[in-house]
Amino acid sequence: MEELNILEKLEKVKAPLDFEQKVLTLLTTRKEKKQLMIKNLRLSFAGSFAFLVIFFILLNVFVLQKKGPLDFADLEKGIQTNFQKKGPNARGYIPIIEVVDYSKEIQSLSYEPQTIYILEQVSEEIKGNIKY
Amino acid sequence: MSMDEQELVRQIQEGDEMAFGKIVGIYKNKIVNFLYQLTGDYQKAVELSQETFMRVYFKAHKYKPIAPFSSWIYTIASNLAKTEIKKIQKVSIVSIDDLHNSHKSGAFVRNPADSGLIRNLRQALNSIHPRYKIPVILKDMEGFSLEEIAQILKSPVGTIKARVSRGRNYLKRELEKSLKDNVAPL
Repeated sequence: MEELNILEKLEKVKAPLDFEQKVLTLLTTRKEKKQLMIKNLRLSFAGSFAFLVIFFILLNVFVLQKKGPLDFADLEKGIQTNFQKKGPNARGYIPIIEVVDYSKEIQSLSYEPQTIYILEQVSEEIKGNIKY
Repeated sequence: MSMDEQELVRQIQEGDEMAFGKIVGIYKNKIVNFLYQLTGDYQKAVELSQETFMRVYFKAHKYKPIAPFSSWIYTIASNLAKTEIKKIQKVSIVSIDDLHNSHKSGAFVRNPADSGLIRNLRQALNSIHPRYKIPVILKDMEGFSLEEIAQILKSPVGTIKARVSRGRNYLKRELEKSLKDNVAPL
């Protein structure tokens, strides 16, 4: 086919003389950019992770913190219960803390008479009605 | 693919810039010429060639020595050219002024046998859809076999054969039309 011979005759261009140099310069620039991008990405991930950790710690400390029951040691130290903080007029139940040694209860179950628990007010400050 | 090239590619995969420089030296003229034939714009062809070699370096780990390296690099160049042609959304035609300026800068040597007929062929080549132009150029200008073109363009051999045939017929029709109209000034 005639046009195929003509196709071969179409001018063939060559790369510019400084082509290799330009490509290598471009390569160096791209590599630097890539390294910078990786560095920034790592910093971003580390920052995000640190932020999340701090956020969850603060959330746990200030929002999700649950107060456990007070024991006698706390009371002796003078730590106020919620009830004490609210005052004697506060409505609700008064927490009563009692230490029971169940192992002795079980051992003495067979021969000792039935245990009778006498519930009494622990806090002397409270004068209101007490619900058990 | 020669063992030397295979070794060079392996070195590029390890980040060797010297090996990359050698590959650039081997393929620069072929790729620039191929992209020039596709785009019809020398400056664009040089830019796309640079981008092609950048991809060769940064995507070297994706190359598998099942296919020849030349096929792989032409695949990258073809894809870049297709994207560029879509981006432009118009046919690029090289003006005589551009050719003259490029010639003065020593960028490439112009064929002295260039005539109106060849210029019409250039125009016809620039007006053809890339779907047909790429296989025709790979076959008739770069000298690849149909199997190699199928590998480069990731299409069945039958499809490539049909596209080459249709592309040639289109060029033939365009040239005959130009000759008949006698609009090709010398």
